[in-house]
Amino acid sequence: MLPLISIVLATLAAGTAATFVAGTRARYVALGVSAAFLAEVGLMFAAYPGWPGYNGALVPGFAEQESHAWLHLPWLQINYTVGVDGISLVLILLTAVLQLATVVYSWEERERPAAYFGLMLLTCFGSFGVFAALDILLFFLFWEAVLVPMFFLIGGWGGPRRRYAALKFFVYTHVASIVMLVGLLAIVFYSGATSFDFSAVYASARGLGVLPQSFLFLALLFGFGVKFPVVPFHTWLPDAHVEAPTGGSVLLAGILLKLGGYGLIRWAVEVLPQGFAHDRPILFAVAFLSIAWGSIVSLAQRDMKRLVAFSSINHMGIVLLAIAVGSSLGLLAAVLLMFAHGIVSGLLFMSAGTVHHTFGTRDLGALGGITPTTPVLSTMIMAGSLASLGLPALIGFPAEFTALLATWERLGYWVLLPLGILVVTAAFYLWMMQRVLFGPPRGIPPGAHDVSFSEGAGMGLLVAATVLFGILPSLLVNVIVSSPVKGFPGP
Amino acid sequence: MVLGLLIGIGEGFSPGRTTNVQILWLHLPPSAQFPNGFSLVMGTLVDPLSALVLMVVTVVGFLVLLYSIGYMHQDRGLARYYAELSLFLASMSALVVANNLLEFFLFWELVGVCSYFLIGFYYEKPSAASAAKEAFLVTRVGDVMFLLGIFLYFYLYAAAGPAGLGGWAANGFVFVHNGQPFLAGATSSSTLATVAGLMILGGAAGKSAQFPLHVWLPDAMEGPTTVSALIHAATMVAAGVYLLAVTSVFLGFTSFDQLVIVAIGGFTAFFAATMAVVHPDIKRVIAYSTISQLGYMVLAVGAGFTAVGLYHLFTHAFFKALLFLAAGSVIHAVGTQDLFKMGGLRRSMRLTSVAFAVGGLALAGIPPFAGFWSKDDILASVYSQLGAHPLYWPFFLLAFAAVFLTAYYIFRAWFLAFSGSGPRDPSLPHAHEGPWTMQVPLVVLSVLAAGAGMFAFLPGFANLLERGPGIPPHFGTTEILLSGASLALAVGGIALAWALWGNGRVYALPASSPAQAVRRLLLERYYFKAAYDWIGARGVNTVARAADFFDVYVIDGVVHGFEGAFGGLSDRLRRIQSGVVSDYASYLVAGLIGVFALLLLIAPFLLARVGGG
Repeated sequence: MLPLISIVLATLAAGTAATFVAGTRARYVALGVSAAFLAEVGLMFAAYPGWPGYNGALVPGFAEQESHAWLHLPWLQINYTVGVDGISLVLILLTAVLQLATVVYSWEERERPAAYFGLMLLTCFGSFGVFAALDILLFFLFWEAVLVPMFFLIGGWGGPRRRYAALKFFVYTHVASIVMLVGLLAIVFYSGATSFDFSAVYASARGLGVLPQSFLFLALLFGFGVKFPVVPFHTWLPDAHVEAPTGGSVLLAGILLKLGGYGLIRWAVEVLPQGFAHDRPILFAVAFLSIAWGSIVSLAQRDMKRLVAFSSINHMGIVLLAIAVGSSLGLLAAVLLMFAHGIVSGLLFMSAGTVHHTFGTRDLGALGGITPTTPVLSTMIMAGSLASLGLPALIGFPAEFTALLATWERLGYWVLLPLGILVVTAAFYLWMMQRVLFGPPRGIPPGAHDVSFSEGAGMGLLVAATVLFGILPSLLVNVIVSSPVKGFPGP
Repeated sequence: MVLGLLIGIGEGFSPGRTTNVQILWLHLPPSAQFPNGFSLVMGTLVDPLSALVLMVVTVVGFLVLLYSIGYMHQDRGLARYYAELSLFLASMSALVVANNLLEFFLFWELVGVCSYFLIGFYYEKPSAASAAKEAFLVTRVGDVMFLLGIFLYFYLYAAAGPAGLGGWAANGFVFVHNGQPFLAGATSSSTLATVAGLMILGGAAGKSAQFPLHVWLPDAMEGPTTVSALIHAATMVAAGVYLLAVTSVFLGFTSFDQLVIVAIGGFTAFFAATMAVVHPDIKRVIAYSTISQLGYMVLAVGAGFTAVGLYHLFTHAFFKALLFLAAGSVIHAVGTQDLFKMGGLRRSMRLTSVAFAVGGLALAGIPPFAGFWSKDDILASVYSQLGAHPLYWPFFLLAFAAVFLTAYYIFRAWFLAFSGSGPRDPSLPHAHEGPWTMQVPLVVLSVLAAGAGMFAFLPGFANLLERGPGIPPHFGTTEILLSGASLALAVGGIALAWALWGNGRVYALPASSPAQAVRRLLLERYYFKAAYDWIGARGVNTVARAADFFDVYVIDGVVHGFEGAFGGLSDRLRRIQSGVVSDYASYLVAGLIGVFALLLLIAPFLLARVGGG
């Protein structure tokens, strides 16, 4: 069988390099690479044993696995080990879809296009690597490979306070990465594993007692939690989003936040089940705090991007909650919700970017009644908002529904908090739509026109994904649930 | 429409038949309560219950679409209008035939969002945009309760169902098995079941605008009148009642739930009617009337008479759609909704005036018009259940008193609009009837509003009503006395309306009258709207702003405090912030070197441990 993951990595690496040197033709290269990436992900799905039909049987371990010796010290083996299961595969699909949509959306980027597209591709390359890596060092290298291009994207193409935002982003996530790395290395060395491979670490970590596990789990929770981000380590996110260029925002919200969720599931929950069980109260507390805080602070925002950024904190809080309930259902909900949020927040950030670019402002107080001027853009904003507030037939609903169901099953009436917050979430999106889309026109500069073809196509792709997976969530669900869940307390 | 009618007639003549078709939508993994996982299905269930409502949806839907051709012809955005209306009809039909609660909820939300779009159809008007938001938000409160109710029922009956079938969960939580209610006899009386029922009631109250979630419906009148007729009178708002009916037939309510439902229904029937008494806006009068009539239906379902409640849903759909379309005809002709500017339209709009009068008589419950049969059934049914709980009494009396108010307010509207010698506001354009597309629906609906009440005597139709406890015997002495009393009240209401407003009279309450305070209270809708707005705008907003302040100045402030505390770091930051991209790169490299230095530092230590261990 073909080493699909390596082929994808090679495609992305070569494509990124080619994009950097392609000058003004960079966008064509980027488009080609993105299309190839998506096609290859399609092949990965086709090769995955759990797809398309789920027959109740679990797919053990990882599929499409490759392992090559890389660096063998006498006391430690570092391998190039990659592989996917249902969880990572769905997030890889998200990466591919968002990359293509972002490249299409950014088609008219005029400012240093080669570097811009190159950095975007590099971000996606790193993200793909994170989702596929099954070796700690490999995982960490890809993890850092995401951080760096995003830093330059914000710093190089961002808004007026981009330096502050880029630096804040970097310092936060970098500190978190270091803690995460130390945590991972500590697991390896304390448990006496002799390899960085996931399977080896997974096996040997079982030998750790509850207290070491729970302590290490906390370190990893901090490392991944900043990326989520969870309250109170979230303040880098709104700043980064406000200043980042649209493409950067899309990748940041759509993919980078998912790295945190994925990392928590793969490297913390699965590897340290006892620590997870022990620390669950902390996870619940943090999750509830993020859900409530993200939503309530959203209500006070006047900048469209800040509003969507805080709603991301709210949604990722639900992801954390779904992970924390520690059941297969919760895990399914978490992954599905990450996928949904990736697509929908991408759509919303693209809309906000277009609003800014068309009307010169994203201030909800200064804008109003844009629908007659820009009907297509308005439709996109509406689709994104409705999907984000969980309207059935769009992707957000099956995800939120399963998350709440899982929460109810384990936590009983605690589910009232996220349920109640659903009303607040609806409130700020409805308020935003009322302000921006409806009412008499306000703050519309002369000559404002609707979205360009490429912007419309990029957003349209995401709307299509929202509707497709909203109506047929089983396409994703069957893949996710085919992966055995390692280390949950109880079913 | 033809399809809907065929299904309805087919159902009517093949009693007890249910058709259930379904596909698997989602299969969820095993969990604590469901060790084998569970399936969620999308299916259609056609049984007498759904066939009845499906007929309403398709017939009224068709007539409203026809009417729209004439009524909306001057508006922009017609493609949007028809697309949204069609999506609504599709979703509503799907809701009616849904065979499980989750699917019901899914389409329930879709009809809600269509309602949101259509209320905000004139989105340039700030009031329309605001009303749309309000409708969505208030019903969302109900929807959230509904969702919790679904969870509760799922878990309540996880293992229930006929033996050997693997329980409710394995079957996708569908309502029926082999034509029988899946959970028949499984009704629990536990606290959990009570809470589940109350949550379902919450959802229904949001959709059907029952107290205290009633505030959105009058404001929803910002939408085109056709939308008000279809969505906010005949179909969508009745979905709440339908939900209660479905729940009571397939899942069952506890007796406490029933009491609460009766209380909400009876109180709303009266409460909404009082507000209709003073309102100057023709559409809002009818809107309050809708809330009040929905209250009757809720009352009936709560008292255990599902069939009776749905019977009223059926007749109400026709006469209320008729009233709205007639009002639309008036608005189309004179360009205002203010009753006090109209007058004398009887002369120029004979068809509309007759249609409105037919609708009014049906609403007031004058025999032989439709409302008489169904409303008296409700009153008689509830009366027969008064022994169930002493608290049924006050709500029965409230509903009974509302009969008088109903007759009064609807004829007040009729007299104000149609009687007298001419418009009170001379600037109104000369009124004339609309095109044939508007007249035909009025005629058809008039016939239905006049005659639908007697459908119950048709053999096929009676079969449709067989679900749930049947219609009580109609010709006992008590029932006749009750009918007579309610008829007397209705006639009294009409007479009072005639005395005060008939023949072009305008009754002005003396300025010094103590009743002025009551009038103001009613006009201000008992200040519910104001209170909700205050909570929404002031309360929540203040909390949100405080939270935002805390976020920016305290949480982020702490971060910046740390930054300041590390003086060296701060210096470096300042230098970097003034630097160019290469500075960032060097910082980055420095960071990476730092990481690897750390690695090297801990490696020997770890090595020692591994070696030692």
